[in-house]
Amino acid sequence: MKAALASACGLLGIAGQPAEATEVRTAILGYSEQDRVQAFEAVIDATHEFGGGKIGNLHVVYDALSGASPSGAVPSQALQSFTRPSGNGVYTTAPGETPLDDTFRDTRMAVSGSLTLPLDRVTGLTAGLYGSGEHDYSSLGANLALTRDFNRRNTTVSLRAGYFDDTINPEGGRPAPFGVMLDQALSPRLDGDGSKQTLDLSLGLTQVIDRRTLVGLNYVFSEVDGYQTDPYKLVSVVDPVSGEPLDHLYESRPDARVKHALLAKLVRQVGAHNLHLSYRYFTDDWGVRSQTVDLRFRWNAGPALYVQPRLRYYHQGEADFYRRFLVEGAAMPDHASADYRLGAMDDYTPGLEVGITRDNGHLITLRAEYYLQTGESHPAGAIGQLADQDLFPTVKAVIVQVGYAVGL
Amino acid sequence: MMKTGTMRAFLILCLILVALAGAGCSSLGVQPWERDLLSAPGMQLQPDPVVTALDDHIYFSKEASTGGLGGAGGGCGCN
Repeated sequence: MKAALASACGLLGIAGQPAEATEVRTAILGYSEQDRVQAFEAVIDATHEFGGGKIGNLHVVYDALSGASPSGAVPSQALQSFTRPSGNGVYTTAPGETPLDDTFRDTRMAVSGSLTLPLDRVTGLTAGLYGSGEHDYSSLGANLALTRDFNRRNTTVSLRAGYFDDTINPEGGRPAPFGVMLDQALSPRLDGDGSKQTLDLSLGLTQVIDRRTLVGLNYVFSEVDGYQTDPYKLVSVVDPVSGEPLDHLYESRPDARVKHALLAKLVRQVGAHNLHLSYRYFTDDWGVRSQTVDLRFRWNAGPALYVQPRLRYYHQGEADFYRRFLVEGAAMPDHASADYRLGAMDDYTPGLEVGITRDNGHLITLRAEYYLQTGESHPAGAIGQLADQDLFPTVKAVIVQVGYAVGL
Repeated sequence: MMKTGTMRAFLILCLILVALAGAGCSSLGVQPWERDLLSAPGMQLQPDPVVTALDDHIYFSKEASTGGLGGAGGGCGCN
C-alpha cells in the first residue's frame, strides 16, 4: 500500500496515459537474538500500474519464529520449574538465569492487497484488505486512504483509516488475570477466544522545500479495545526480604489503549548523496512515552551502487502498570506486566545496506544490522537476591536481509 | 468507540493541516521541470516499502511503540 501511494503521488497530475508497468520486490530476512528468538521472514511485494493512474499492490509475508522468549518471571538463586502455557509438561531454569519459555514457535502468513484509483488529476483513493494467521492468532483488516496534491504537486496531504479485528486462541486457553501458575496443571482459565479491535487514523503531509529537500509529517491515532494481555507472560510474587519468587501469576493488561504517534522526516540531497533523518514521538494512555531517531546516509557511488550506513536510536519509558515483580503482602495493582517490552529501554541499531543495480536494471540489496536492547538490569527497589540478579539482560540481535527487485 | 474529545482534536488537526497545505505552503516547492533530483530512488520518503514493512514488524514486536510514516498496521501475535 505504501508503494502504491508513493506511485500514485508521482503519477497524479501528469497529463496523458502512463504506460503499464510492474514492479516486484522480494526479500528474505533472518533475525537472531543471542540465546533467544530466531525469526525467518520472506516477503513478496508486487505493484502493477494499470495506466491512467490505477495501481494495484499485493504483499505476501511468511514468517517462522522459534527459540526462547522471556516469560517475565524473575531469576532465582535456586533451580526453577515452570508449567508450559499449554499445561502439558514443564521447563526448568537454572539458578541465576532469566526464565525463558522455550515453547515459543510459530509460523505466520500475512496477505494484503490494495487498489488505488485516481479520482481526479490531483486526488487518489486507495482501498486495501489485510489478513494474517498463525496457530494461535488471526487478524483481518481493511483500510482506506485519500491523497491530494496541492501547489503544483509540491504539497501532498493524505488521510488514512484502518480497522483490524484480531482473535487470539492461545495454547491451553487464556489464563484468568493474576491466576497462579500451577505445577503441571492449568490455572483458572477465561472462556473462549480473546479478541481485540484496532482503529487507526492518520494524517500525513509531505512538502517539497526545494530541488534538494523534502519533508514529511505524519500523525497517527490508534485506539485498541479488547483483550491485550499476553497469555503466556508471568509476573513473579517475591518474598519481601529474600526476594526469592514465591509464586508466578499470569499477567493482566488493560482492555483499552489509545496511542498517538507523530513522525517528522527529512530527505535531503547532499552532493550526489542522500540524507534521511526521521524523528518519532509516541505516547499512549498506558503511560508509555518513546522517542525514535533514525538516520540513514545513502552514499551513491555512481548509478549502479549505493552504500547506506544507518543508525537508529530508541528510548522508551515504562508503562504505568509495568512491574518487574510484585511483593508478597503488598496491595495488588489493577494490572501488572513484567514483559520487558513494556519496560524502560534504550535501543540501538547500527547497520549497513548496500544496493547493486545490475545491467538489466534489477536491484540487489543486502542489509546487515545489529540490534541492541538495554534496560534496567538493577532497578532501585530490587529486593534481597534480586539486587544481585540481572533483571534486564541486554538483548543482542543480528538482522540480515537480502532483497531482489525487478521493474524499478 | 472513539472518545469524543480525541475525535474533535483529530478533526481540528486535519483542518489545520489542509489549510496549511492549501495556502501556507504555496510559496515553497519547485516547478515541474525542477524535479530531476527529487525523482531519484534515494530521494523518496520511503525508498523501499519492503524494508519499511520488515523493520516495522521487528520493532513493533520488540518495543511498545507503533505507528510511523505510512505504517499500515496489521495484527500479529508476535511475542
